[in-house]
Amino acid sequence: MTTILVVEDEPEIRRFLRSSLGAEGYRVVESATARRGAIDAGTHKPDLAIVDLALPDLDGRELIRQIREWSSMPIVVLSARTQERVKVEALDAGADDYITKPFGVGELLARVRVALRHASRAAGGMPVLQLGAVTIDLQKRIVRRDGAVVHLTALEFRLLNCLAQHLGMVVTHHQLLREVWGPTHVGQTHYLRIYMKQLRDKLEDDPVQPKYLLTETGIGYRLLADEAG
Amino acid sequence: MKGYVWAVGATAACTLAGLAMRGRFDLVNIAMVYLLAVVVVALRFSRGAAIAVTVLCVAAFDFLFVPPAGAFTVDDLQYLLTFAIMLAVGLVISGLMQTVRRRAKEQAQVEAEAETERMRSALLASISHDLRTPLTVLAGASSTLARGDALPLEERKQLARSIYEQSRELSEQVAKVLDMTRLEAGAIALQRDWDSLADIAGAVLRRLGERLAAHRVVVDLPPDLPLLRVDATLLEQALANLLENAARHTPTGTVVQLRARRDGGELVVSVEDHGPGLPEHDVERVFEKFQRATSEGAVRGIGLGLAICRAIVRLHGGRIWAERVPGGGTAFRFTLPLEAPPAMPAEQAAA
Repeated sequence: MTTILVVEDEPEIRRFLRSSLGAEGYRVVESATARRGAIDAGTHKPDLAIVDLALPDLDGRELIRQIREWSSMPIVVLSARTQERVKVEALDAGADDYITKPFGVGELLARVRVALRHASRAAGGMPVLQLGAVTIDLQKRIVRRDGAVVHLTALEFRLLNCLAQHLGMVVTHHQLLREVWGPTHVGQTHYLRIYMKQLRDKLEDDPVQPKYLLTETGIGYRLLADEAG
Repeated sequence: MKGYVWAVGATAACTLAGLAMRGRFDLVNIAMVYLLAVVVVALRFSRGAAIAVTVLCVAAFDFLFVPPAGAFTVDDLQYLLTFAIMLAVGLVISGLMQTVRRRAKEQAQVEAEAETERMRSALLASISHDLRTPLTVLAGASSTLARGDALPLEERKQLARSIYEQSRELSEQVAKVLDMTRLEAGAIALQRDWDSLADIAGAVLRRLGERLAAHRVVVDLPPDLPLLRVDATLLEQALANLLENAARHTPTGTVVQLRARRDGGELVVSVEDHGPGLPEHDVERVFEKFQRATSEGAVRGIGLGLAICRAIVRLHGGRIWAERVPGGGTAFRFTLPLEAPPAMPAEQAAA
């Protein structure tokens, strides 16, 4: 049975998370504080953690760092809209995705499923992704659109590959720049803007209203794919 | 402190003048000179300074001029009346001035409070109307659900959906009030970074999704637009407010256009609708807080969206305005200053 750890201080929020996650067949472990959460993460060995960023005793970011010291379990953070900075820092500290309060359960469950799938896939091989008419074979490094090979530059492919490694999840500007251009280029956000535009021009039907290479304003980018992948 | 310096100075000046007048003027006129000093200091400075100057003047006048000179004793008792009058004048004037100063301060405060009060009552009026509607739905629908399952499943689902929708609506409105408050308090520091308008526009259109679904949204962004150094989160909010505003105030099925063009050192971004168009006198007013076009009745929203846009655009050093479009409709346009984009090293041809 899949176990989900919920670290959230508001009992009313814990209540509906418990009932909605429970209804989906997940076992839910609840912690009201970050310290308790750190202990529960160790004893219950959950498959995924949902962490509120505004906990009373310890910064949610600190809890994420502590968990990351020993575990790669997917972590989804709950954040308020006014916490843009904190949210990005939580993602850079190792959280896998975020959801902004208030949220619908549908959104949350989708995030949870994507994060769990990512964790189980990490062990397996690289998939072939389907983005509408575009097929991406990450292993063979071949991208086709309507059957015809699309030529990507080395950096374009690295950027696409980095997003594909976190399929369905947000990847911050910082993470993308570090992984594609290297740690000395993390401030060069304009590289990303230019290369994302190039990728969209090559892969999207309407580059201004993309369906697969999505912008998370002020945070990063997210790659979606059709279910088949 | 300054008042006491003046008190001493004025007394000394009067004493010199008095000494010069001695022999040629009556003592009464010398007393008048001292009285002048008392009046001047009492008018300009604190009550303490007024009392100080009065005491100093009386003492100096008595010691130097009232016979016998060189002593504080008084031969002719009528001079005691002169002293009393000087003291009374000093106290009365300083008392009056104190009242006048306090009134002026109160007046300024009252005016500032009236402005705040006007804003507050406008806010309360819109809150009570526009936030109460979703709240009423929330209370009504959720309590209906809580009563049990006498209702058919489909109806219960419908109630639950409207709870969800109304809570989203409520959350949007509250977010706007918070944004406006933070923008006005100067609590927002721009987090500028290089970004592309196309990126931001794509995110906005996706985020608004449902709310623009009833309109035909046409995006016209030239592919070679320069990058902007902006706070993307705030700019996204400004664009969202403009698009939402257009959708909210125009008939379903009409076109809403998002365009941008470079104009010298700045970028001009426009959101154009094909609705009834703003009345001429609303073109300026729409950017004020809690203002809505005079013609609209049941349109929702608390009238903060455009005020937020204006605050965001101004923070970026741009201008924002509304124009009536010939043939009906309104164009909301704003500018953003362009900066020289940073260098982008060319990539080696891929292997």
